[in-house]
Amino acid sequence: MSAPVVTRGLTKRFHGGQVAVDAVDLEVPAGSVYGFLGPNGSGKTTTIRMLLGLIAPTSGEVELLGEPMPKAHLRVLPRVGALVEGPAFYPFWSGQANLLRFDAADRTADPKTRKARAGEALERVGLSNAANKKVRAYSLGMRQRLAIAVALMQRRELLVLDEPTNGLDPQGTREVRHLIRELAGDGTTVFTSTHLLAEVEQVCTHAAVMSRGKLLRQSTVADLRSELRPRLIVRTPDLGAAAETLQGMGVTELKTSEETVEGDPGELPIEKFAAALVAADVRIHGFGLERPSLEDAFVALTGEGFDVAE
Amino acid sequence: MGVAQRSRRWLVPVATVAVVAGVGALGPVVADASPKLPTITAQDLLAKVQTAKVDGLSGTVHSSTDLGLPAIPGMDGADGMQGASQVLALINGDHTARVAFASPDKAKVSILDAQAERLWTSDGTSAWAYDSSKREATKLTLPAHSKAKPEKTLPQSYDPQAVAKQILTAIDPTTKVQVSGTEKVAGRDAYKLRLVPKTDKSTVGSVTLAIDSKTWVPLDVTVMPRTGNDPAVELGFTSVSFDVPSASSFTFTPPKGVKVTDEKVPSKAERPHSIPQRPGNPSLIKPTKPGTANAGKPTVIGTGWDSVAMIRGAQTGGLTGGPLGQLLAKAPSVQGSWGTGKIVTSKMISALITDDGRVFVGLVTPDTLQAAAAKAPR
Amino acid sequence: MSPSEATADAAVAVRPSAGRHTLALFISELRLVFGRARTQVGLGVLAAVPLLIGIAIKITGSEGGTDGFIGQIAGNGLFLIVASLGLSLPFFLPTAVTVISGESLAGEASLGTLRSLLTAPAGRSRLLAAKMVALAVFCLAATMTIWISGLIVGFILFPVGDVLLLSGSTVSLGNGLLRAFGIAIVISLSLLGLAGIGLFISSLTSTPLAAMAATFGTFVVLGILTAIPQLHAIHPWLLIYRWQSFADLLRDPPYWHEIVRNLLLQAGYLAVFYTAAWARITSRDIT
Repeated sequence: MSAPVVTRGLTKRFHGGQVAVDAVDLEVPAGSVYGFLGPNGSGKTTTIRMLLGLIAPTSGEVELLGEPMPKAHLRVLPRVGALVEGPAFYPFWSGQANLLRFDAADRTADPKTRKARAGEALERVGLSNAANKKVRAYSLGMRQRLAIAVALMQRRELLVLDEPTNGLDPQGTREVRHLIRELAGDGTTVFTSTHLLAEVEQVCTHAAVMSRGKLLRQSTVADLRSELRPRLIVRTPDLGAAAETLQGMGVTELKTSEETVEGDPGELPIEKFAAALVAADVRIHGFGLERPSLEDAFVALTGEGFDVAE
Repeated sequence: MGVAQRSRRWLVPVATVAVVAGVGALGPVVADASPKLPTITAQDLLAKVQTAKVDGLSGTVHSSTDLGLPAIPGMDGADGMQGASQVLALINGDHTARVAFASPDKAKVSILDAQAERLWTSDGTSAWAYDSSKREATKLTLPAHSKAKPEKTLPQSYDPQAVAKQILTAIDPTTKVQVSGTEKVAGRDAYKLRLVPKTDKSTVGSVTLAIDSKTWVPLDVTVMPRTGNDPAVELGFTSVSFDVPSASSFTFTPPKGVKVTDEKVPSKAERPHSIPQRPGNPSLIKPTKPGTANAGKPTVIGTGWDSVAMIRGAQTGGLTGGPLGQLLAKAPSVQGSWGTGKIVTSKMISALITDDGRVFVGLVTPDTLQAAAAKAPR
Repeated sequence: MSPSEATADAAVAVRPSAGRHTLALFISELRLVFGRARTQVGLGVLAAVPLLIGIAIKITGSEGGTDGFIGQIAGNGLFLIVASLGLSLPFFLPTAVTVISGESLAGEASLGTLRSLLTAPAGRSRLLAAKMVALAVFCLAATMTIWISGLIVGFILFPVGDVLLLSGSTVSLGNGLLRAFGIAIVISLSLLGLAGIGLFISSLTSTPLAAMAATFGTFVVLGILTAIPQLHAIHPWLLIYRWQSFADLLRDPPYWHEIVRNLLLQAGYLAVFYTAAWARITSRDIT
């Protein structure tokens, strides 16, 4: 079985000549929770719109569930649940009425089970009590959950979610992340974009990093993280002595700041360094090995802070 | 799908525009393609026309007049300018009428106005006029002698047959007559008879009659001006049936809630003045005799194409204000042995309004008009 | 569970190419148009037209003084239907059509629901068709609202009976009602050209108000062009040139020529602007 999402050389150049997405090759493995990571404005939403056939690529190809997009969109999209760029609803209608309308737009959806399916979807996102309330009266978090409910109206093979936790409170965020894990557990491939590294760390099996329209990296989250070696960090007032001792033990990339000395410890076990420092009469206020975060990985990839492009 | 492929979709609406415009503009032309008919000489054709006789017909007549007159808003034949205004009031316009005729003495004409209708009908014993906008009906008691010619009570200008006959009477050595081809009129095959004035004094370029190849009834009259490509007058059937209409279609029963007036027809020669005549909607004049429409008793000066009608009694002194007055004020003043006056010209009609209250009108050039005025009795 | 096993499971669970429920979107579209308060208020205003005319005539008690259909209302309530339809045609009905058609696609675009519909997937051509059908149904509903309101008010306030036609002949009340019904149908079909223009303009923008304003502006310009006598040559091509021909149904027999021409012209406008809207919506980037 081919990957549920494949793009080749996907490029979008807007009328102004600005390149929003630049030759992106994505490959989302089946069954993965794929975190599509990048700061706002890095081309994530434009890519997602092209995946779903909402906008036409300037060049390149998109394959969704093994079929070419947008050519096969009427065949493919019923198997895809989508949430694109924030929740959009008819504010003068109830949450349930909104679900019914979007379901009616899909000609493969069975009208007989429509109400029941809407009820289940609302239940799943915790909106049963607000089902008959006008969407106008919904909070942003409720709308976000309703948008996810739209994607859950049918059994989907692929979910494409654009910033699904945007605007949710911590509790809502936890619930949505839990939901994503649950869906992935059922075998649904989830492609979710986010600008929150924590989200990728918590829910994703795979990750891709976008910056300024270019795909910098895609791999499993574990691989991404393991590429960065852990760093030894020593907090001490005796900076000079500590640095000298560590250097003597083969620690590279030594950096000294006001209170800490840090560096790449190499292959030696960490307790050896502690013993050596004590032996050298270095006063140790703090000592430890820091595992690199995805943020570090991101900084390493892009050479810039995460929020630069915002 | 690439951007280029997507933009190609715009070819669909562009093609639709072309098809719609093509069907709209060329459809009628294709439908009116020239039918194949045996050749006929002009003389034979004229003879057939003179003997044309039908027992009855019904159909729809459309007239379209473009005499090149300026549109004068509010010109409604105000007091004191009857003659002049009625002649000038030949506004450019389109009219549609339903006509029916059964020999010997039944006739009906309904002019289809916008959301209204004016009709005249005669079943041989009584005649009615009805105006739907006013909901007034007028019963005309026909004088005994007019019984045989009831069509005289009708505005003849809506009967192509009558118009054509009048034009045919004008055929004399001044006119070149030829059969100029065939055409389809109201779905029927017809010969085109073309009359071209030999004189250059007339503003008439040509008169073309379409004559039905089976009944020899004129179906269409087209008057072309000497200059320009658009007909000045086109009057013809858009649909026609030569089945004799049933007698009941000529009877008129005054409906409930309609005011009924009884009137006697004063004279067979004159149109009953009780016929509801809507302001601003004057009927057509006969191309050869302008001024006969409603103007007392015009004097005709000259013969043939360059004949000129003189109407007395126009109170030109009262024409200081109003749109018509403005029009006259702008018109050039002329003078000659006949006196002084104002001349108004259009591509078809010229009118000379003298200061002593005479109006000369004709389908002639302004010079011809002045020459006629010089010959006219005071 | 390995990823490949997971998809295999999902593929099995997918519903078997469940039937083709094409109509559902069209019904949903009608619900959207007619469920909105704005539509209902608009129809309410149209329903009030015969009521206001009827009351005005009842109060002033004008008897036959007025030309045309209005002058006939006092004598026969059926003419309230015809007069109301005729009076609504130049302004009220086009305004209603302008609002609904301007809203149709631009409204979805401005709410963002257009995205959700297209990823459902509604299919762009089918969504456009559903929009157009809903517009046509609205045109019919608008004229029928006047017809029904005119019927009720006319029958309550005025005597009714045999119907005097323009040609001076009289037909039965039933025949008259049928003709009035025919007029409502002809008028609703007359509005389709404008609806097509509105749909196209609505496909160009994401601002419903701009689409409505532009559609109404187009309508006004066409009206002005129709009123300029010097443009005689292009008049037969103008949208509203033959709008008034509906009255030809009240002749005896009905005069179809102008009505048919009007309907053909409307069909032409509709074809041009519908295909243009199609080209636009199927090639547009939905953001």
